[in-house]
Amino acid sequence: MPFDTTTLDAPFAALKSFDWGGDAAPFKTIDDAVVAAHADATLRADLEKRFAALLGTGTSRAAKEYVCRKLSLIGTAASVPALAALLGDKDNSHMARFALERIDGPEPVDALRKALGEVGSDLKVGMIASLASRRDAASVPLFAALLTSDPMVATAAAQALGRIASPAAAAALAAARPKGPAADAVIDARLACADAFLAAGDRPAAKAIFEAIAAAVATAPHTHRERAIRMAAQSGLFAAVDDTVAP
Amino acid sequence: MALRSMTTRRGFLKASAATAGAAAAPYVITSKALGDATTPPASDRIVMGGIGLGNMGSGDQGGFLGRPDVQYVAVCDVRQKWREAGQGRVDGKYGNTDCAAYVDFRELLARDDIDAVHIATPDQWHSIMTIAACRAGKDVYLQKPETLTLREGPLMVAAARRYGRVVSGGSQRVLEDYRTIVDPCWAGELGRITSVDLNVGPPAMACYLPAMATPTDIDWDLWLGPAPWEPYNPGRCDGNFGTGGNSWRSYVDYSGGSLTDWGAHNFGGTIFAAGLLDVQPTKIMYHPASDDGKSSAFVTLTYPNGVEVHCNRPQHLRPQDVKTAVTHERGITIRGDGAAVAPRAVPVYSGTGGIYGDFIDCVKTRERPFRDIELACNTMTAPHMVALTQRLERSLEWDRAAQQFKGDDEANRLLDRARREPWTL
Repeated sequence: MPFDTTTLDAPFAALKSFDWGGDAAPFKTIDDAVVAAHADATLRADLEKRFAALLGTGTSRAAKEYVCRKLSLIGTAASVPALAALLGDKDNSHMARFALERIDGPEPVDALRKALGEVGSDLKVGMIASLASRRDAASVPLFAALLTSDPMVATAAAQALGRIASPAAAAALAAARPKGPAADAVIDARLACADAFLAAGDRPAAKAIFEAIAAAVATAPHTHRERAIRMAAQSGLFAAVDDTVAP
Repeated sequence: MALRSMTTRRGFLKASAATAGAAAAPYVITSKALGDATTPPASDRIVMGGIGLGNMGSGDQGGFLGRPDVQYVAVCDVRQKWREAGQGRVDGKYGNTDCAAYVDFRELLARDDIDAVHIATPDQWHSIMTIAACRAGKDVYLQKPETLTLREGPLMVAAARRYGRVVSGGSQRVLEDYRTIVDPCWAGELGRITSVDLNVGPPAMACYLPAMATPTDIDWDLWLGPAPWEPYNPGRCDGNFGTGGNSWRSYVDYSGGSLTDWGAHNFGGTIFAAGLLDVQPTKIMYHPASDDGKSSAFVTLTYPNGVEVHCNRPQHLRPQDVKTAVTHERGITIRGDGAAVAPRAVPVYSGTGGIYGDFIDCVKTRERPFRDIELACNTMTAPHMVALTQRLERSLEWDRAAQQFKGDDEANRLLDRARREPWTL
């Protein structure tokens, strides 16, 4: 039986001004509709339109958060403009990413990439993380350029390149010369790239990274971290040896 | 393999002593530092710190603090009362005021003298802190449930393996509470395991608690960490064990609810008994409630070897005449086919002192602990998948290699969640 969308009118009207501590019982109808929308494209489009309309001005923060959670489940490209408009808003940026990160297709990635160049450092870290979760290859040069940014952003950019773990990402990390916390993140990310190459069967590429890191930490102090890095590089080198080739 | 940090400290002490002697400078080695019949010398103790010192964290702290082969040096908690209480227990134990206290876990992890940490925060922090600790070269004892999302498990395992860390999950019950079903299964008394029934609790719920003034004794932003920002309310963050709306364990941003909380134990014991530690479910079947009201909804997990694990299957649908079955008081029944199966030795803890001793022994030997993080994360896939299936109200198929559900975009959306800046994995 098709979902009766007239039952949604009252809960959506109540949602606009909902605040934490308010009566959430009416939202059960919306929750049920979200589940039902899986098998009902018309209902899904109707819900998405209603949700997107609530992301503008005049809606409470609690309501926007609820809407973003629901759009993270059923949102499509149609919701991207309304969500993208929140990316620069400190209060709502994270929840907009909460939805955008999960929406399939190029539109949310394009929106995140565009916002990366527009938002401040705090929010930029979020854009980087979300683009990394999508393994967005087009972001690699953008992340590479951020490796000399402030430590928080540079660290996030390095981690993101390690998550993407493409040859281009590995090359960007190899060329990076950050200092402080970002330098540690670059090493972690390079190890992640090497592990990814090893898993994909590209032993030479992995070996080159492990060798470079082993050499870089050869004379480093014997701290717990340096020992762990040495262990990662050495065990990686053992794993990268091609034992099918006669010496 | 020798413990690297121990070797280094031992070498440092020797070098220090030699230097002191050569220069005739004052150098005092206390009797405590040298150890005695029951206490190893300082150079042989594992130096530990704790992150999250609430209900479970204080228990874990006690488990480690009481060990003569552990030197406990630091606590970290975003709540002043837990932080100071934890610090007080350490200082009381050692009769000094040496225990450091931190609000931010990154400061504790930055200390190079710390070999290992135990983590008992709300679940949204588990993966971030564990991976950060591995990167810092620390071994980790992590309270269960080890993961909050399906995606976190492989990342935590990768960090542990990459950096050669000992990372133990934290369910002591898996071995200690379920022997009545574990032992017969491993002894081969049931033959090949065919099916399991177990009862699981509800998943976490949304939280709409009202805003309240944030007290000064909590760093609320750091308590939330990667979770969505929500206003302070003590009902969100108080740390009792309730999952019915009276603690953080009730709410979806910080926990998987009773389904993963007690599920870590019940699934843990069951999966251990049934020999499913190395595998993950391939099919997750959702059985809706019957129209006649006689059957409530339940979920069946099918493992690669064909074992079916039924979660909350109504009693009247369960086989009634199975002779080769064992039951556990927590609502678990494991059935076998009665075939001849060679008995196997039940894996147990290494060292002495239960799961804490197992962890410490593995820190020394570099062996994998009883609840190694990979086995723990495999176990946790089960309750996470049950939660997803219940939420979506449809069946799913899992591709372990790809770490994706097959052909279900909506299910794959739920593999992970965006973390609030500046926290990333």
